[in-house]
Amino acid sequence: MIGQSILRFEDDRLITGLGQYTDDIKIEGQTYAYFIRSEHAHAKINSIYTQDALSSPDVLAVLTAEDYLNQGYQGIQHVPNPADAVDSSRPSFSIAKNPQYFVNLHLPLAHRVVRHVGETVVMVIAKTVLAAKNAAEMVVIDYEVLDAVVKADDALGEAAPQLWPQVARNVCHEETFGDLERVEEKLRHAAHVIERRFINSRIVNAQMEPRSAIGLYDEHQDSLTLISGSQGVNKQKQCLLEALKLRDDQVRVICPDVGGGFGPRTMLYPEQLAVAWAALRLKKPIKWRGERSECFVSDYQGRDQIIHSTIGFDHNGKIVAVKNTWLANIGAHSVSFVPPSNGMRIMTTVYDIPQACVNIKLVYTNTVPTGPYRGAGRPESHHVMERMLDIAADQLHIDRIKIREINLIRKDQLPYRSPMGLTYDSGDFVANMQQTLQMALWSDFPKRKQESISRGKLRGIGLANYVEAPVGAPIERICLSLKDNGHLEFITGTQSQGQGHETTFRQVIHHYLGFALEDIIFRSGDTQFVTKGGGTHSDRSMRIVGTLIQNASEELIARGKSIMAFIHRVESKEVQWMNYRFEITKLGLSMTFLEMSKALNSSEIDLQTLKTELNIESPLLQVIADFKGRIPAHPTGCAVCELEIDPQTGEVQLLNYTSVDDVGQVINPLIVDGQMHGGLAQGLGQALSEGYYFDSQSGQVLSGSFMDYGVPRAGRIPPLRIKFSEDPTLLNPLRIKGGGESGITPATACVFNALANAMNSNRRDEIPMPATSSVVWTYLQTIKETHE
Amino acid sequence: MITSTLQINGQQVSHQLPDETLLVELLREHQSLTGTHVGCDTTQCGACTVEVDGKILKSCTLLVAQIDGSQITTIEGLSSNGHLHPVQEAFKECHALQCGFCTPGMIMAISHFLKDKPQELNDEIIIKALEGNICRCTGYVNIIKAFKTAALKMYPDLQMLTEA
Repeated sequence: MIGQSILRFEDDRLITGLGQYTDDIKIEGQTYAYFIRSEHAHAKINSIYTQDALSSPDVLAVLTAEDYLNQGYQGIQHVPNPADAVDSSRPSFSIAKNPQYFVNLHLPLAHRVVRHVGETVVMVIAKTVLAAKNAAEMVVIDYEVLDAVVKADDALGEAAPQLWPQVARNVCHEETFGDLERVEEKLRHAAHVIERRFINSRIVNAQMEPRSAIGLYDEHQDSLTLISGSQGVNKQKQCLLEALKLRDDQVRVICPDVGGGFGPRTMLYPEQLAVAWAALRLKKPIKWRGERSECFVSDYQGRDQIIHSTIGFDHNGKIVAVKNTWLANIGAHSVSFVPPSNGMRIMTTVYDIPQACVNIKLVYTNTVPTGPYRGAGRPESHHVMERMLDIAADQLHIDRIKIREINLIRKDQLPYRSPMGLTYDSGDFVANMQQTLQMALWSDFPKRKQESISRGKLRGIGLANYVEAPVGAPIERICLSLKDNGHLEFITGTQSQGQGHETTFRQVIHHYLGFALEDIIFRSGDTQFVTKGGGTHSDRSMRIVGTLIQNASEELIARGKSIMAFIHRVESKEVQWMNYRFEITKLGLSMTFLEMSKALNSSEIDLQTLKTELNIESPLLQVIADFKGRIPAHPTGCAVCELEIDPQTGEVQLLNYTSVDDVGQVINPLIVDGQMHGGLAQGLGQALSEGYYFDSQSGQVLSGSFMDYGVPRAGRIPPLRIKFSEDPTLLNPLRIKGGGESGITPATACVFNALANAMNSNRRDEIPMPATSSVVWTYLQTIKETHE
Repeated sequence: MITSTLQINGQQVSHQLPDETLLVELLREHQSLTGTHVGCDTTQCGACTVEVDGKILKSCTLLVAQIDGSQITTIEGLSSNGHLHPVQEAFKECHALQCGFCTPGMIMAISHFLKDKPQELNDEIIIKALEGNICRCTGYVNIIKAFKTAALKMYPDLQMLTEA
């Protein structure tokens, strides 16, 4: 069953329109919320006039931050500083000694100041959406517009507008990782030093389901329920109960079907808190469905990192040291510092680099808060490393492959400890690259280039090696419990947003316990029964839950053996688990879990004595397995992209994309393939079409819809040649590494290497990202001008 | 207020509705046919695609007042007598969906395209047919595969052109 392309359990409802996303849920007597959002990037709120709106038909309430704060509630505590990638008991950034470190509480509605376009300011509740919208038109907000700053480097300037009075020059935290002195020493003595600045562009999550939320208050129980799509209910619940100062047993968070996650839906949103608060306040069910134009200015966004890289090489092209400075644009609120944290750990990627350091500044700006978006910091680091190698190869007159061969970590160096503290236990980096090059017909490229030239086209080829590191929530829980009808209930704290957990976890449970897939009841996404869990992000789910299923299965089998031994009055060591049955060979007896469940339900067994003998308080065949910490795993591989540019229009046509990916053992090839395609599409989108543009003076968003933000359409992905390889990890029983981010991690790097190759531009400034046809055409004109 | 009578998935329904009611609102709020999704409100993403009088349209920008008396097919009405439509089958077999949110609109658009036998089919034609529908999860690779699989299920002798 493991390794088979089992068709998905979730599909029957989703292909017939019977999926249930948040907005599909209708609650008796539900009322509707509509948010008035800031039209300014930065402004003082002098006054908010709500009287006319309040007296407009069918309106129940018009609420502002004052109303919220007057009730004694507080903003969301996001805990943006993540658990460290290696030692998860400590935070990634050492903030304790930084007096300027300031994490703001994220209010559901802006109080006194708005700090980004799209920030929620007023919430109107009415009997219909239309009544709420009509009333919103009557709210008058008197803004005093302030100067705005949208770019991280601009925000550092002395004259730059300051977002939070506590944070001078908008730098919330600055920290240097690695040994700066030794790196600088190495760079001083390096034969060659290459420098380059990279702007990794801002990304809009653009999951297809606009965020929605339903708040419910139960007067009898004095309890609050939030129904809302997310990437993990437990974190959302924690943030919600802290903000509203409720007890653990007063808050329930339910996540129905989710229309795409990709990272940003891990954190709680102001609208979710606002809807929950309003339900509590008005004692009415309240629903909100975001519109796409709201998504574009309020869904937490990705990337937007400026990285300046300096790499020293010896005479042979071997890297002696890397020094990066990293400006992370965190947006207007401190929601997450995950991307720079991940990027720091993985900065030397698959190369054997003796010394490295990075200085990171976390910078507030008048933009939508940023956070993890598929890959979260890893694609950024790989982009820098792989571009730098191509630039160095050009300047040092070394072949692009050769310079990589010189620097790749060889298999005989494993386990390899990187200067940033990661230990790679497995991964055949050299073989992956060689295989990819062969599959991509790399050596025949010059012929193909000639052919393109004859048609007036510029052809380029690029490659990128990659490796990832395990991060994410360092806790997880599952529960396996045998039901009276012989079905096995499986509860997990991870939560699918399209990854097919209902299918793949069943496959793993079948592998260990033999239950038919149909006899496994899958449950997740509701804090009423998911008592603990980290949710789904960062390639963590199968690696951690697969391990927990193995642990819990072992325990369940041990229990079964004891029960069988009790029933037949033998020593439990005389019971064997063979072919998914409990067997007592000398008695010629055997029993399945189903039969055991029936036996336990019959009156013949003295359950009380059995429980006492086994010293078990919970149901006899129920096992809870907990995990805390990290399971290191390093998905790795190589990608090659070949493309053609039409110099007349600047249009980039991707010709093919090849990759060899070591995701560890593949549980379901169909699903892993799908993850590769999806990650790749998002990577190619960032590389070529997804541009989120601002007016840098006013901070106004210029690309706030699908008409001007280029989410890839059908046809963006070129013909693919993808092959899985595996150099097994021994650090988890199923040998899982992870496949959700393999597609995206090398994607922009390999496209930009191919673009620079096509335009022979490694000695020039970087091509701006995304390389839309207009960007490429303009870039080609500057090349022409300098030649003339 | 308007009075509207429509045939939805073969059933006649009449409603008294505010003038500005959109078809998607009628389907979701009044008929509880929530398989038709709202992904953008502005005809850009295709999640709300339904069939109206044999034409494929985006229900998020269509007023009910415009289509009185029409016949509507939604994703819920696509399978018949408990049998999935070949496009639905192909979506499952080819793993053409992940989160599933764009899926009903995709399936409606594709099943409409395949209603009449195409003269020929290749990637270019398929990509053009998918112009109005956005998916963020799949990269479209398996959607294109499902398109072809469904086409061959419906028309086994269909000429499938391979790309050069």
